[in-house]
Order: sequence, then structure tokens, then C-alpha cells
Amino acid sequence: MEIQSNDERAFRQVYEQVFPILMRVVYHVTNNQDLAEEICQEAFIRFFDKGMEFATLNDAKYWLIRVSKNLAINQVKRKAREMNMVDKLKKYPATGANHSDGSQVLMEKETRKLVQEAIDQLPEKFRLVIVMKEYTDMDYKQIAQVLHISESNVKVRVYRARKMLESILSQE
Amino acid sequence: MCVDDELLNTYLDGELQEPWRTQVQEHLGYCNACRQRLEQLRALHQKVADAVLPDSEISARQDRVLQYFEKTRFSSSNKKMHIFRKKIQVRLVPALITSAAAFVVVFIGAFVLFGNSSQQGQEILPGVASQIDSAHIQQVTEVQQPSLDMFSLEQIVQHLDAMGYAVKLEVKAVTPLE
Repeated sequence: MEIQSNDERAFRQVYEQVFPILMRVVYHVTNNQDLAEEICQEAFIRFFDKGMEFATLNDAKYWLIRVSKNLAINQVKRKAREMNMVDKLKKYPATGANHSDGSQVLMEKETRKLVQEAIDQLPEKFRLVIVMKEYTDMDYKQIAQVLHISESNVKVRVYRARKMLESILSQE
Repeated sequence: MCVDDELLNTYLDGELQEPWRTQVQEHLGYCNACRQRLEQLRALHQKVADAVLPDSEISARQDRVLQYFEKTRFSSSNKKMHIFRKKIQVRLVPALITSAAAFVVVFIGAFVLFGNSSQQGQEILPGVASQIDSAHIQQVTEVQQPSLDMFSLEQIVQHLDAMGYAVKLEVKAVTPLE
């Protein structure tokens, strides 16, 4: 089934299926929901305005993920530069985790936050791969296609990202 | 020899190809240390996967962005307006400009030709105040071109019938008046 990106019906179909995936990828890369929404919107605007043809829905999905992950990485780099500037002026205060004796929901929220903070600490190339592996339904082959890297490269990055995450989370 | 972490991760993700997959499975069957390590990796994977941004936090954003596209990109809601605007721009505007220009030309022409002569001016534009009386007032009715709107459906049918046409009426998507 061919997909014309500026055809309303085709767009709606792609949008419905891909938006949540895109939102998850971008959010877990940037750790900012508002920014993730903006980036997803921008990616879909480009998708619509370029009026492209895709052979399958997956091709459209890969294109959208590629565009939005590039936008996300640029934002993260910009944020990192800004943080470095701030760091030079002021030492970043260590945020001691405030463990409350709250409910299960609070615990889960806290765990989610810790995991996301651990992901934030990963170098970009590992972060992208592990986010796609854990938060989308894509396999190694599909991730390789999106990132234009080899499948064995994906495999190594997943392994190394998990190793880093394990190390970071064990320190918490 | 035990299975290394890289292989275990690949196995965990269901991405390990044969014959290694079977070999790892066999090894896990008798090696406690590797089984434990696999469970640790599985727990880590689960912990990370559980931190996923939930659907509940996505749906409102998904609706909002879709609304943006409905307002700015989709044609179904804007199409009628668009064609209407186009008609005004393409057909009406030049026609209005032409008629306005013609009006101005006629006015200027009239003043150039007759503006200097008060005598002629009076003939063309007679003074109203002095000559207004019942003799000068004439009832003017609007001349109407006959159109179908002026006849009832019954009259039209009778007329067509009189002219020898066989008329068959069908009611389609009409709500009768109460």
C-alpha cells in the first residue's frame, strides 16, 4: 500500500500509529514531554509539507523516527551546551533523592525517574539504540535501518548501553 | 565455557540465530551462574521497559497536535472557503474594478461635456424642488422577468401537461412542512 504523505487519509493513518512511538522515542531521548511534543509536531509538519511517497507504512515510520531523533539530538546538544555554560558559573548542586515512605505509585514514579535519569547519562549513540529497543516494537534489523548502521552494531550498542545502565542504576 | 553478556543480551532479545540459540539454551540448562546472570539482565530490561512514557500522558498531546493539522493543513474543512475566495478573486474582483472604472469614466465625461453649460445642465439634471408635484410623479414598478420562482409547482406541472409532456414527480430528501 503506497502512502502519500500529504493525503489527509493516509496522513491520519500514519499519524495514529506512529505518533505514540515518536513521542516515546523523543521523550526518552530528551527527557522533556513538552519538547517532545514540539519535535513530533515539527516532524509531522515536514512529513506533510514535503508531499512524499512511501512504499509502506513502515517506511513512513522510519522516516519520521529518523527526522525526529535528529531534531531531538540537536535539542539535547543545545541543552548540554547551555548546561555547560551554567556549570562554569555555578557548581551544579547534587540532588539527593528524596525518598518518601509513600505509596506504590510514588515508588514507581521514582523508579521511572531514576531510569530516565540513567538513560540521560548515556552517550548519544547508545541512548538512541536502547531507547528504540526498549520503547518501540522494533527489532535489531529495523533499528539498523532507521539509524543506517549495521545489525551487529545495533547488537553491540544494546549490550553496552545495558551494561552502562546497570552500572549507573546500581549506584543509586 | 560460559556465555558472555553480549550473547546473553542478544538471546534475551530473541535475536540470537541458530545454531547459537540452541547452544545457549543447552548451556543454560545446566549452568546456574549463567541462568542467574540471564535473570539479572531480564530484570534490568524489565525495569527500563517499565519506565516507558504511559499512553495516558501521550493521548492529550496526540489530540492537540492533530487539531493543529486539522486547522492548518487538512483541506476538508477549508476547501469550500478556499474555492469561494478563489471565485471572488478571479471573477468578481476584475468585474467590480471594470464597472467602477466605467462609472468614473461616464461621470467625468458627463461633467466635461455638460458641466460648463448651466442651461444644458438643467436639461440633463432638472431641478427637483421647483418641479415636484403630482403631475410629475409617476408610479414606477419593477419590471420582472418571468422566472420559475413565480409559479407554483402545480402551475408548472399543469403547463407542462398542457404542452403534452408526461411529467413524473419524485420526492427526494424533502421534509414536508407540518
